[in-house]
Amino acid sequence: MYRIRFHGRGGQGMKTASRILGTAFFLECFEVQDAPRYGAERRGAPIFSYVRASRSPINERGVITNPDLIVVADDSLIPIPAAGVLQGITDNTTLLINGHDDANTWKHRLNINCKVLILPVTEEVEDRAELPFVGSACVGAAARLIGVITEENLVEAVNDEISSLGADLIKQNIDQATQAFELMAKHEGLVKESTSKTPLDYEQPEWINIPFENASISAPTIHAAATSVEVRTGLWRTLRPVINYDRCKNCWWVCSTICPDSAISVNEKSEPVIDYDHCKGCMICVARCAPHAIETIPEQLAQEKEKQTA
Amino acid sequence: MNEVVMQHMTDLPSTHLLGTGTPMCSGCGGLEALHEIYDVLGKNTVFVNAAGCMTLLSVYPFTPFRGSWLYTAMASAPAGAQGVRDALDILLEQKCIKKEEDLEVVVLTGDGSAYGMGLSATSGAIERGLDFIYICYDNEGYGNTGQQFSAATPHAAKTATSRGSSGFAGYKKDLFSIWAAHKPSYVATVIGSEPLDLARKIEKAKQMKGPRLIIALAPCPPGWDFNPRDTVDIGKLAVKTGVWPLKEYIDGKVIHNIPHHRVPVEDYLQKQGRFVHLFTPKRNEEMLNEMQARVDAYWDAVSE
Repeated sequence: MYRIRFHGRGGQGMKTASRILGTAFFLECFEVQDAPRYGAERRGAPIFSYVRASRSPINERGVITNPDLIVVADDSLIPIPAAGVLQGITDNTTLLINGHDDANTWKHRLNINCKVLILPVTEEVEDRAELPFVGSACVGAAARLIGVITEENLVEAVNDEISSLGADLIKQNIDQATQAFELMAKHEGLVKESTSKTPLDYEQPEWINIPFENASISAPTIHAAATSVEVRTGLWRTLRPVINYDRCKNCWWVCSTICPDSAISVNEKSEPVIDYDHCKGCMICVARCAPHAIETIPEQLAQEKEKQTA
Repeated sequence: MNEVVMQHMTDLPSTHLLGTGTPMCSGCGGLEALHEIYDVLGKNTVFVNAAGCMTLLSVYPFTPFRGSWLYTAMASAPAGAQGVRDALDILLEQKCIKKEEDLEVVVLTGDGSAYGMGLSATSGAIERGLDFIYICYDNEGYGNTGQQFSAATPHAAKTATSRGSSGFAGYKKDLFSIWAAHKPSYVATVIGSEPLDLARKIEKAKQMKGPRLIIALAPCPPGWDFNPRDTVDIGKLAVKTGVWPLKEYIDGKVIHNIPHHRVPVEDYLQKQGRFVHLFTPKRNEEMLNEMQARVDAYWDAVSE
């Protein structure tokens, strides 16, 4: 069985990527499962989707924890533990990264011995949530690495899955997929099928017995206020709004009131302050600030600058 | 009545009650309205939430609220509110809680529930004169499941279940009038991009008793297909074009904020991917004229 996991950000087309790859496998007469992780398809948020394909019926279910191939559309997700990109990686896994750095850099950085391949970034964009066609490029590369999918069936699968987008976009997606397919020619078949697990392979988790507690303690009741602040939605951000206090008129209500996420507060000096742990990078504040006192900086660039000054 | 408080934008609260870190989409127009509303209502509020996008606000162990939150099935939030109100009334009567510990019971649902499944339960609650506030965040479709059409979807919008070249064939249901026909204490339309108007109306509702119902138009970046940064721009255009009338039903009368210079409806439509088929590959003049005429007719009737 082949087990493939796609990682990206909401908006980069990972769900569609898994559907295209699933359909391509299906056209090669495989049994297929493809699914996005349910419930978190938010723009910019780390998401993943996965594909299982086998010549015989698939009895596995749920999220893939032992992938043969991990495809990463956005390399800024790799260091984020919550994104779970490296979950279940072994020396037999192949890691395909869409990014600038070379394979050895990643191997060294992550201290891993598995095969690492780079799908070069074809286009620079300011807002990574809008990386165009990255999903199709990832599928094209993945199909060649797996080595059992023909170019014809890859193209047909792209056609099938995005038929509603109109001829122009379909063509551009197909071009991206086939270019990536060509690019990976020398690695054809690098990803090998791994064995299917049977119920006999099931390992019991280490159970911890918890004594029966009174319902006031054991029931899922939240006793504290606004606990959601523990969730760092700042991870979703691909663009960062930065306030230029020289231009800010200290009106305080516009950005702070219209920020949907309550992520802009006002300090004692009546200056607005952005909470980067939670700002999702919607940029409404940038669009609506009358004196244009809020600038847009690509998140990755902002983080690199922070590292340099730290 | 405490209307004086909300004279200027600078009278709006500068600290916010709703917690950060919610799973709502980036640029969510519904969350924007909710956080503005919550600041005015204050923390002595209990939310009764029907299934919808905002169900995800309180996923154990996380909640953005300062107080209680109750989850009900999609059609029964007003029934849930009745139970909570009754329980509070009993506690008050038995002197188990003090008057100042009483809570405002607030129903929170999307348009799928408000305009459709939950309408019957709402009708019953208004009939019984239930003392509650109903907030509908209206993103004109079943957003949480991928924007299938709902009874609030506007004519010609593309949805996951209306993909043809002319979009959704039906028309947006006039929930404001349906609610107002029940003669409740208060009905109002609001939008997060007009925070002062919103705050005034919520402040007004807060001072009243009985059924008070609010519809907040909620521009939805993924569902309406636009860049999240445009949420407020699109919200303002919804008002300026006259597509989203800001109005109140109070003492048996409907009062409008009449836009001074209405701009063409297409200025609003053009900014949203769900209406792109009206402009490309060929401009659908007939449909655009029909939509403009519908809005014009509405405002002609209002000013008569």
